[in-house]
Amino acid sequence: MNRTIDPIALGVVWDRLIAIADSILLSIVRSAFSVGVREAWDVACVVFDREGRSIAQAGLSMPAFIGTAPYTIEHLLARFPPATLAEGDVLATNDPWMGTGHTPDLCVVRPVFYRGSLVGFVMTISHLPDIGGRGLTIDNREIYEEGLILPPCRLYREGQPNDEVLDILRANVRVVDEVIGDIEANVAGGAVGEQLIGECLDEFGLEDLQAVADGIVRQSEAAMRAELKSVPDGTYTNRLEVEAPDGPVILACAVTIAGDTATIDYTGTGAAVGKAINVPLCYTRSFTGYAIKTLTTPAIPNNQGMLAPLRITAPQGCILNASRPSATGGRHTVGWFIVPLVYGALAEALPDRVQADSGMVSLFIVAGARADGREIATQYFLAGGLGAMHGLDGHHTTPSPTNNAVVSSEVWEAETGVRVAHRRLLPDSGGAGRWRGGLGQEAVLSNDSDIPVTVSLFGMRSEFAARGLFGGRSGALREFRLDGQPIPAKGRVTLGPGQTLTVREAGGGGYGDPRRRDSAARAADLAAGFVTAEGLLRDYGDKPRKGV
Amino acid sequence: MTKGDWRLGIDIGGTFTDFAAFDQRRGKLHIHKQLTTPGDPSESVLSGIPVLLGEAGIGIAEIDSIVHGTTLVANALIERKGARTTMLVTAGFADILDIALERRYDMYDLRARYPAPLVPRRLRIEVGERIGADGRVTVPLDPDALASAVARLVADEDIEAVAVCFLNSPVNPAHEAAAVERLGEACPDLTVTSSADVIPFLREHERWSTTVMNAFVQPMFSRYVARLEAGLGDLGFVGSLAITTSSGGCLDPQTARRYPIRVLESGPAAGALMASLIGRRTESENLLAFDMGGTTAKGALIRGGRPLKRYDIEVARIHDFKPGSGLSVKTPVVDLIEIGAGGGSLAGVDARGLIRVGPQSAGADPGPACYARGGGTPTLTDANLALGYLDPESFLGGGMPLDRAAAQAALTREFGNAFEMQAATAAWGIHETVNEQVVRAFRNHAAERGFDYRGATMVAFGGAGPLHALRVARKLRIGKVVFAVGAGVMSAIGLLASPQAFELLQSDWVDLDALDAASFDRRFASLVQRAAAPLDNAHKGARNGFAVRRAIDMRYSGQGYEIEVVLPDGGGADLLPRLPGLFDECYARVFARPFSKRPIEIVNWKVEVSVPAPPGVADYRPVVRRRAGKRIGARPAWLPEDEDFVETPIYDRYALETGDEITGPALIEERESTIVLGRDDSAVVAASGDLIATPAAVEAMT
Repeated sequence: MNRTIDPIALGVVWDRLIAIADSILLSIVRSAFSVGVREAWDVACVVFDREGRSIAQAGLSMPAFIGTAPYTIEHLLARFPPATLAEGDVLATNDPWMGTGHTPDLCVVRPVFYRGSLVGFVMTISHLPDIGGRGLTIDNREIYEEGLILPPCRLYREGQPNDEVLDILRANVRVVDEVIGDIEANVAGGAVGEQLIGECLDEFGLEDLQAVADGIVRQSEAAMRAELKSVPDGTYTNRLEVEAPDGPVILACAVTIAGDTATIDYTGTGAAVGKAINVPLCYTRSFTGYAIKTLTTPAIPNNQGMLAPLRITAPQGCILNASRPSATGGRHTVGWFIVPLVYGALAEALPDRVQADSGMVSLFIVAGARADGREIATQYFLAGGLGAMHGLDGHHTTPSPTNNAVVSSEVWEAETGVRVAHRRLLPDSGGAGRWRGGLGQEAVLSNDSDIPVTVSLFGMRSEFAARGLFGGRSGALREFRLDGQPIPAKGRVTLGPGQTLTVREAGGGGYGDPRRRDSAARAADLAAGFVTAEGLLRDYGDKPRKGV
Repeated sequence: MTKGDWRLGIDIGGTFTDFAAFDQRRGKLHIHKQLTTPGDPSESVLSGIPVLLGEAGIGIAEIDSIVHGTTLVANALIERKGARTTMLVTAGFADILDIALERRYDMYDLRARYPAPLVPRRLRIEVGERIGADGRVTVPLDPDALASAVARLVADEDIEAVAVCFLNSPVNPAHEAAAVERLGEACPDLTVTSSADVIPFLREHERWSTTVMNAFVQPMFSRYVARLEAGLGDLGFVGSLAITTSSGGCLDPQTARRYPIRVLESGPAAGALMASLIGRRTESENLLAFDMGGTTAKGALIRGGRPLKRYDIEVARIHDFKPGSGLSVKTPVVDLIEIGAGGGSLAGVDARGLIRVGPQSAGADPGPACYARGGGTPTLTDANLALGYLDPESFLGGGMPLDRAAAQAALTREFGNAFEMQAATAAWGIHETVNEQVVRAFRNHAAERGFDYRGATMVAFGGAGPLHALRVARKLRIGKVVFAVGAGVMSAIGLLASPQAFELLQSDWVDLDALDAASFDRRFASLVQRAAAPLDNAHKGARNGFAVRRAIDMRYSGQGYEIEVVLPDGGGADLLPRLPGLFDECYARVFARPFSKRPIEIVNWKVEVSVPAPPGVADYRPVVRRRAGKRIGARPAWLPEDEDFVETPIYDRYALETGDEITGPALIEERESTIVLGRDDSAVVAASGDLIATPAAVEAMT
């Protein structure tokens, strides 16, 4: 197969590369110790060609990482030019401005050699169980409190661990075995990737990935450009407020569609703050690319080609382009809002594709000890409701824009000794609309042991609800209570013996005028208890009816 | 009791019901196939039996036992036609089915949809009771309050079935058991299912979801079995009836009625059983079963003569067949590979501008373009017809002529503009894209299970399997492909190999360090006791022929993923010191490198108690009328090596005799399918009647 690759072979090899990325990712998830990796899927795998163009990714990769990986590889290759790399080398960095925006995520890169020549790279990214410093908390003021930063470095040299670097890691983190174990899982994943890519090249009689990569990037870029071209030209703006410990922060964007390109600029966004919620530009670009992709080309596997028609800019020093030494540990609590910000901007241009704001998720970092003395260092997640879309109610209790998996109450209780008193959907919490926002939920955690447990909160939407679109109403706010008393949505609390933590997850925004909601849908909501009779009267103008 | 020599396998599929009657003593096999009666599938069973008996020239009294498989339960779940069901659930947790997995299965598709729970929210009743993670009762149950709440709902809502779903019941099932007992007294007409009885697995969403499904289908399934038993009685049948599960074992009717979720779908299990039979015929320990039909392809791996199994499956996917868009079930099943590609799969140009086949299917109506029933989008069947692999005149034995011109026109319409491709080139692209999908699925599945398929044998069947098998085998470097005789009713034959078996999985988290030999032995003794009980019905308590297989799911403390370790024989005193080594070995097979120093936990305890099917089925010889004329003509068929059509000889499978050898390119036609031999592929007819093929490339390599 020496000629330019034909569409049949391109499709076949492209799908194979995605399957390879999937295999690597699954092996990492299954062998990881980090709860972030195994329950929140805080992990990614991306395959690059030898020029560093991303060409395939694992389907269940964290969207944030998929978007930052192309920038990370640029930084790594600038430091270690391809000509200097040898078989068996492994590169790594967790620098927030080069990696994923905060220190716990380590990006691990394996140069892929085939018959002695460099043909590409496999990058895997995992959220490590610990990276030192004060741990992941909103209260950090500077990056120096947020643990160890590994600038681009060689983790392995020609197959041998670089102990000088690994020893620095060992000396800086709390749960050494878990951290090193997870890094080894990434390293092993890269080796598996190199082997599978070699077998793939063998099978299709290819010397390298370049013909395939050209095809992948060309077709994807063409598809993205065609979609952008179908969006009416113009500049579309939006702004929203995001809660922060010292007062709300403004996020603003202007999306300019011109022909087959889009420029997304965040001028007007507020300045970085003295808490750990600042967003490095790589993360801003990542979620911008994600938002545009979901609106234009959701079915096309992600790769470098999709980024080419996009220009993403933010003024230096604003909270979406924070500079060193801003603290960034909780960058997601601001960065996730880029997605509804962009959807809101494009609502006028793409009314049938955008989604009303979602309730998003709560992440809790829990530390302490069980009654039997065993240490607890784990995470807990709860999801709010999704925003509604044209023709589609928002799904209840579903994460956005990130992803995670349910924490089973039974497993949670067995592992932590912290009891889940109940978990219930919150009626009327979904924003009213012709299509209703998804419901949030209430969960109550109760410390039945006699040992205090520390809980770090990264809550959002406790002041600014998920907004509706086109007359749809906002979803309910998120609330946190300690023994029934309201507490701030961000920060660290101690759940003492006998105390309870109540979390009310935010609902998603509605879409369209509630008065136009279909009567069968109203009746179904009432029958299911997703909306109460009072809610129906208040939000939809329905008169109470007798009996149901 | 009869002492007849004959056993009967009957499998109900979506379209056809297959029958196989086997004479234990003489090895003779008679087969029959007829359309399924969707309204009441027992009708096709009861009307088909006399036909088959007539063909075999025997009376019903000579039938010793009937093994029965059905898609009834899966269909009821897909169509959501089940009982009005209520869910009794621990107070505070009624919404778990709605809250569900809190996970998006597609990161980019904002319109991804999720299945609604089978029990509507207003039909769930919260019950004041609580058992802690350690098994201690923290809130006692009030059975009388519960019974009156259910009685009210039964009266108001016409409830037929109850699913009892309490938190932490796998650790301590006492409250669930008390609720079941009280409801039995208060509402004797209800069918009652409890979660720790259905699957004592520790994760409430998965367990409860499975329990609700069991309850939902129970009344319907129970009536079906009753009708079937009565009908068989009317025919004069006095032998035993057994019903095959999704994991390939079979259950007596009473146990099957208690756990209908276990008989979710027998088809794929029967396919895997058939493949293990073929393995015995051809002395192959490791096999790949490859079955491609009208809408999907399915695969299974057989290691050391046993189909690989697992404990989860998803049914009734509602969004583009995507994993995650269906109902998840925790039940023993054959570890199935599912590929969204079959004969009816639609082919087109995807958003990338490349060929895409499936997962959408043209179904039976309008069907592929070549059915000429108004279908305008090309399908895999259209591609195979355009390539000359299928004969337009002999499809389904000539019962349904195909329109080749319509297939070519559809291909040109779809791909001519996009790629400036000839219909034939596009057709080959579709054929090859599907081959690759199958190869990828097998390869990933095998890799995740540490299964080395290169020395394995492939068994190919289904309407489209034989068209693709040799090309798939070449890509996988598999050296032997078997096309079994009787493949048209292979699921019915497979059922005859179904052992009586019952599997149990019990979650019970224990640190390995804290486990002593006595408690290890006690746990397994109790599990074996529970798993053997359902088999006692058929064996009157005599357990001497029972085989026991034990396994445990283990993980390194702190990891979330457990690995099954099959235990060798022996007691705890002997096994406990060996467990870390056994675990590391299994771990390394999947992940390459163990963490030898980490503490290990046991998460789930598993046993399977079984009684093997009577031997001899592997030597079956179908009674068929041999036809005259082996070579029945030739037609142009696509030869990829030449990138052109080549006049290709056609053989009639039913005329071939033992020892006949054919070298490709060639087409061997069966009633349900055509075996495509590519250039230098070869095939020989074995004494058993099976066709054994060797792919060209593999032969060249060895």
